[in-house]
Amino acid sequence: MSSSSGLTFKLHPLVIVNISDHYTRIKAQSGSASPLPRVYGCVIGVQTGRTVEIFNSFELHYDATQNVLDRAFLESKQEQYKKVFPKYDVLGWYSTGSDIQDSDMLIHKALTDINESPVYLLLNPAINHAQKDLPIAIFESELHVIEGVPSLIFVNASYTIETVEAERISVDHVAHIKPSDGSSAATQLAAHLTGMHSAIKMLNSRIRVLHHHLVSIQKGEAPYDHSLLRQVSSLVRRLPAIDSSRFQDDFLMEYNDTLLMTYLATITKCSSTMNELVDKFNTAYDKQNRRGGRSTFI
Amino acid sequence: MDSLDALVAQVQGFSGTDDLLHLFSLLKQSDELLHNHAPRLQYALSSLDPAKHSLGYLYLLEVQSSGTLSQEQSENFLALASTFLNVCIAEQICLAPEKFNMVCRRVKEQALQLQEPLRAILPLQAAIRKLQPSSEFLTAMHADFLQMCLLAKCYKASLSVLEDDIFEIDQKRTGLVPRDFLLYCYYGGMIHIGLKQFGKALEFFQHAITAPATVLNAITIAAYKKFVLVSLIQLGQVPLFPKYTPPVVQRNLKSCVQDYVDLATSYVTRNIADVKGYITTHEDAFKSDNNLGLARQVIASLYKRNIQRLTQTYLTLSLQDIADNVQLDGPKEAELHILQMIQDGEIFARINQKDGMVSFQEDPEQYNTSAMTMRLNLEIHNIVRLAKKLTSVDEQVSCDQVYLSKIGRDRPRYETEDFDIVPQKMYTNL
Repeated sequence: MSSSSGLTFKLHPLVIVNISDHYTRIKAQSGSASPLPRVYGCVIGVQTGRTVEIFNSFELHYDATQNVLDRAFLESKQEQYKKVFPKYDVLGWYSTGSDIQDSDMLIHKALTDINESPVYLLLNPAINHAQKDLPIAIFESELHVIEGVPSLIFVNASYTIETVEAERISVDHVAHIKPSDGSSAATQLAAHLTGMHSAIKMLNSRIRVLHHHLVSIQKGEAPYDHSLLRQVSSLVRRLPAIDSSRFQDDFLMEYNDTLLMTYLATITKCSSTMNELVDKFNTAYDKQNRRGGRSTFI
Repeated sequence: MDSLDALVAQVQGFSGTDDLLHLFSLLKQSDELLHNHAPRLQYALSSLDPAKHSLGYLYLLEVQSSGTLSQEQSENFLALASTFLNVCIAEQICLAPEKFNMVCRRVKEQALQLQEPLRAILPLQAAIRKLQPSSEFLTAMHADFLQMCLLAKCYKASLSVLEDDIFEIDQKRTGLVPRDFLLYCYYGGMIHIGLKQFGKALEFFQHAITAPATVLNAITIAAYKKFVLVSLIQLGQVPLFPKYTPPVVQRNLKSCVQDYVDLATSYVTRNIADVKGYITTHEDAFKSDNNLGLARQVIASLYKRNIQRLTQTYLTLSLQDIADNVQLDGPKEAELHILQMIQDGEIFARINQKDGMVSFQEDPEQYNTSAMTMRLNLEIHNIVRLAKKLTSVDEQVSCDQVYLSKIGRDRPRYETEDFDIVPQKMYTNL
């Protein structure tokens, strides 16, 4: 069921990174034998009018045997965060898992004394390559009448991701997971080029989709949509940005320089293969005087 | 008589593709039969169609042309063979490559005998294309074809064959012997000299020198002589032997071509008078090798090289100074030389005729045209293709039996991990 409260939720990537970090740590510490752990924490942020913006999060200590949240810990943490970020309030809590569980409602109710209507953020740590969206769901609690009994249930709410410039850089960094051992220029170049290649491939496929659509409009198979055509036209006019003869000259000169370097690289590689080939051939087929060398040819 | 008719009938009947092998074995056995019936072969030939019964036609032709032929007979043979080579079916003749090579050789001999090498060019070219499984294979006819082109002085006709890069040699399919390869390199180099493409000529001669060999042979020596002269013209010095030259060649070649080596040493001193003197004293030696023309070109190239060296020292120079520096006869001659070089693209300069000054300039190529982009693209694709071929050959050599046994032998025996890489039986061969 989707939320009817009319609140808009904005999520910052820092929260997502925090939760996933917390989960990964706990999972790594507990070892691979034990079942997947659940982690718990609080989310904090600002609520202005109808907009709820979740900025940050911190971890909570949860006793699984007694199903009790460590209140003292929560309160001390809350005070500390209040000192640093006076504007942020506790807006709700988070957990990991694939779906809501019954025990969650208890925790949710326990938090209502801090915030009348807390939000519940659920991160699904199962990696699904087919899924394109983030495995995050935000739930609110609402009073619904089910079978004549009014009860609080979770309802799904939609959210958007909001980024500040600093967050964008850090997320970018984490997403690329650069090798940590001070990798050589070669692997960095390869990583950079791979990124370029996938970006260009995606651009190419999207342009192809657009082109296909335009062709079908031309043939009359698809409806003639003016606003879409205007958008396509503005997109197409964005490139080339400059077009003068001097630009062409400089551009071609740089392009040719890069091509020359590639040419040189291929020639070098070719000559090195040839050199090895000649060495191998000489060892194999030269009748005299090859017994002195103890060289290995792998 | 009857048996010949029977054979002809069999050829006609069996020339469909299913029975070719059967026909082939029949023909092999009937070689003697054909020799006995030599006079009647003409009749047999006329009843067969070269386009359909190529295999049988081939055998008959071969027998007909063995032994010495009279003028009329050889004319006849040449005519028949030319049409045959143009129309024969490739699959059929591929079954008998040696016979095919022999027929082509006879064609060449008869053309030489009739003093008309021109007539043999087109048929031989068709023959090459028919026998080659692909354009990367070398056939025995390549050498003969190039020789005919050289004798007939039509170099352009050979270009299409020369431009194919040769990657594969298959003895079984083409009946090739090493002598054919050496002759191909030698004649190919000579044709390139005729076309004034000295760079390519150098490549060909280098192939002839570095071909694997256990003894020196005359073709290699002749190729090396030309190689020395062409490399002086093109590069200004004789390069060292590359790594893959067979050691026999490396040790003994220089001693057979002493004259040329001395010429090379005197060329390096850049003294025109010395070089000219040397060539005139040893004129007979050069003439006997048919290299006198090349030797004269060496002198011309020395002038060019000296002028080019001047561009590195001076920015402008007067024509008189150039003539003195390069030991030319006068400013007029210097001007002629420089004009020719500018036209050939060997130098970038401007001649100011008013005061007789020449100013040397840089290469004006800015590398900022799309034509250059296309050219670079093409070159890169070529290199990538070549690199792929090289890696495949490299893998082939690495897996080669002989190579593995050699490296297995070199390694010390007590390294136990070797026993995994080199098979056990290699050690028993030692």
